[in-house]
Amino acid sequence: MEQPLIQTRELSRVYQKDGTVGVAALTGVSVVIRRGEFVALVGASGSGKSTLMNLLGCLDRPTSGSVVLDGQEVSRLDEDELAEVRSRKVGFVFQSFNLLPRTSALENVELPLLYTDRPDLAGPARAALEVVGFPADRFDHHPGELSGGQQQRVAIARALVNDPEILFADEPTGNLDSTASDEIMALFTELNRQGRTVVVVTHDAEVARHAHRVLTMQDGRIVSDTAAVAAEPGPPAEEVVS
Amino acid sequence: MRTRRMLAQALRGLNRNRLRSFFMATGIAVGITVLTVVLSAGMGARERIMDRVRVFGFENMMVWAGGPTDQTRIGGGAGGGGGGEGSEITATLKLEDAEAILGEVRGVREVAPFSRAGQTEVRWRDRTFTSPTFGVTPEWADVWDWYVERGTFISHEDNQLLARTAAIGPTVVRELFGAEDPMGQTILVGGVPFEVTAIMEAKGTSAGGGDMDNRVFVPLSTYMRRVANVDYLSGIRVQVQNVRYMEPAAADIAALLRERHNLAPGMPDDFRIRTPTEVTAMVEEMQGTFNLFLIVVATIALLVGGVVVANIMLISVSERRGEIGLRKAVGARSRHIRAQFLAESVAVTFLGGIGGILLGLIGNVILERFTATPALLTWHVLAAGIVFASVVGLAAGLHPARKAAAMPPVDALRS
Ligand SMILES: Nc1ncnc2c1ncn2[C@@H]1O[C@H](COP(=O)(O)OP(=O)(O)OP(=O)(O)O)[C@@H](O)[C@H]1O
Ligand SMILES: [Mg+2]
Repeated sequence: MEQPLIQTRELSRVYQKDGTVGVAALTGVSVVIRRGEFVALVGASGSGKSTLMNLLGCLDRPTSGSVVLDGQEVSRLDEDELAEVRSRKVGFVFQSFNLLPRTSALENVELPLLYTDRPDLAGPARAALEVVGFPADRFDHHPGELSGGQQQRVAIARALVNDPEILFADEPTGNLDSTASDEIMALFTELNRQGRTVVVVTHDAEVARHAHRVLTMQDGRIVSDTAAVAAEPGPPAEEVVS
Repeated sequence: MRTRRMLAQALRGLNRNRLRSFFMATGIAVGITVLTVVLSAGMGARERIMDRVRVFGFENMMVWAGGPTDQTRIGGGAGGGGGGEGSEITATLKLEDAEAILGEVRGVREVAPFSRAGQTEVRWRDRTFTSPTFGVTPEWADVWDWYVERGTFISHEDNQLLARTAAIGPTVVRELFGAEDPMGQTILVGGVPFEVTAIMEAKGTSAGGGDMDNRVFVPLSTYMRRVANVDYLSGIRVQVQNVRYMEPAAADIAALLRERHNLAPGMPDDFRIRTPTEVTAMVEEMQGTFNLFLIVVATIALLVGGVVVANIMLISVSERRGEIGLRKAVGARSRHIRAQFLAESVAVTFLGGIGGILLGLIGNVILERFTATPALLTWHVLAAGIVFASVVGLAAGLHPARKAAAMPPVDALRS
């Protein structure tokens, strides 16, 4: 049997507020994510979706429990070791794009490469922008000169530029209109079809429909996990890359 | 991450926040401007004093006729304005004293006795001019390091024969002769005819502001007997073999002169001895004062500039939480973040330092115009400005950079 990409055991996260009573954002979550999956993480606001995603993506450390990513136990690594894991294996996409202002699309995509020892920045960055269907004549444009959908494509290209094992997206369509939202979800579907593991956090049932598997969270626990919810096939690949 | 990329990132970071960068650079520039102006002015003043000391010569002392007065002029006499060196009516300093000093005082290499008058009328045909006139011996030239441009300086023979030969400075040449050749011409010095046998090299303005090229030199013997009608000297310049002999030689000369002048114990000296030691002491004291001043100014500049930069950097760090979180999310380690903010801080202060130096140059020009203080700008000043600014940048950036590096990525991204 193939080793799962991510496996957590009894994962808990308590946010300590001013050293007094903690907020238990996550309680005893055990979940397995296999390579090539397209997972949607849904649930009410405050149910712990982002908290779980941050732990799976090595952005945060659990209060207790374990996370094994690609065969490596990561829950006890220190900050810099986690950063290194993120650099090699994880790509993040955020709701508000988080692009550097007054910086070209290309340079924004180059950013993760700065923290690797790869000598060429522009080459992989261009390739990544092409993969997400970002128009080549806009490579030099700053985020302020791009539409929301275009900005999110740049952010996805940035998440892809280090060729990560897994792509995490926290409400990637939250700031987009429905057309742009559909395009971005179609892009995720296509990336998944090409073999990339994708985890999308969302409120939106429409968005969750693109995934093959939906994890529903409530009060810091996974209350339903169904790979049985059949995903509607996304639009054809040609449309995505246009 | 490579240094070049890091620097490029820092410059981009500064460029993305131009107004803030401008304020930080200005904070440093003000400090460096002050530093540059103070340093240049200080070094200019020091150089001017050292010039005076050099003219005086470290191996030379002056023995003046006349008792101790409140005389403090440095390197006076032939170098100075030529007048006002205390009472010269004192008629006790003799040529024999000079010979005795040379013969009897250990460590003395040379003596140059002279007699002089501050303002003597010099005439050629129908033109007259007023010049300080000196009766000298040939030793004058070496002891003062003051030589002829053309012709031959006053010789021993001239002195023995009471020759009527004169060596005149370029100013005298210009005023009396204009474009004509003075060599071989006869001039009247205080009504006594002399033949111009030499023209002195140009010496320019003395440290005291006098025109050193307005001089007439004649043989000491001729001057004493024919022009001034005196049998005493104005002074003797004494050169020692080594600066180490300066103080003992000065003491020996004082004792010798007291004995030769029959001064009983308790009677005041009828001469004054000036050694460069006093001058050197003065320069050192001034240097000490200046250094203290510089430390104070530098500290204030450091505090002002550093506090401005540190504060703005702190604001910058908290406003850029999102950027810091993102960089960490895409793989930046703490050291990358620390290096980035440190590099920004140093880069902005470095640029501010350059700006400050440029403003300082303008400040120097203005200062020179209004105060006649010569500002001396050397590479030391430039280097001090740049290094100083960068060190302040490093120090001021340390805490903000550490703070940025320590931000947990999740917290940084939530804002
Ligand atoms: N850094 C933090 N400090 C304190 N409490 C936090 C922190 N982050 C999250 N929480 C709390 O933990 C709980 C879960 O938060 P989380 O962000 O994971 O929810 P979410 O499901 O992503 O919600 P949303 O849909 O609103 O994004 C919430 O009660 C939240 O207030
Ligand atoms: Mg969330």
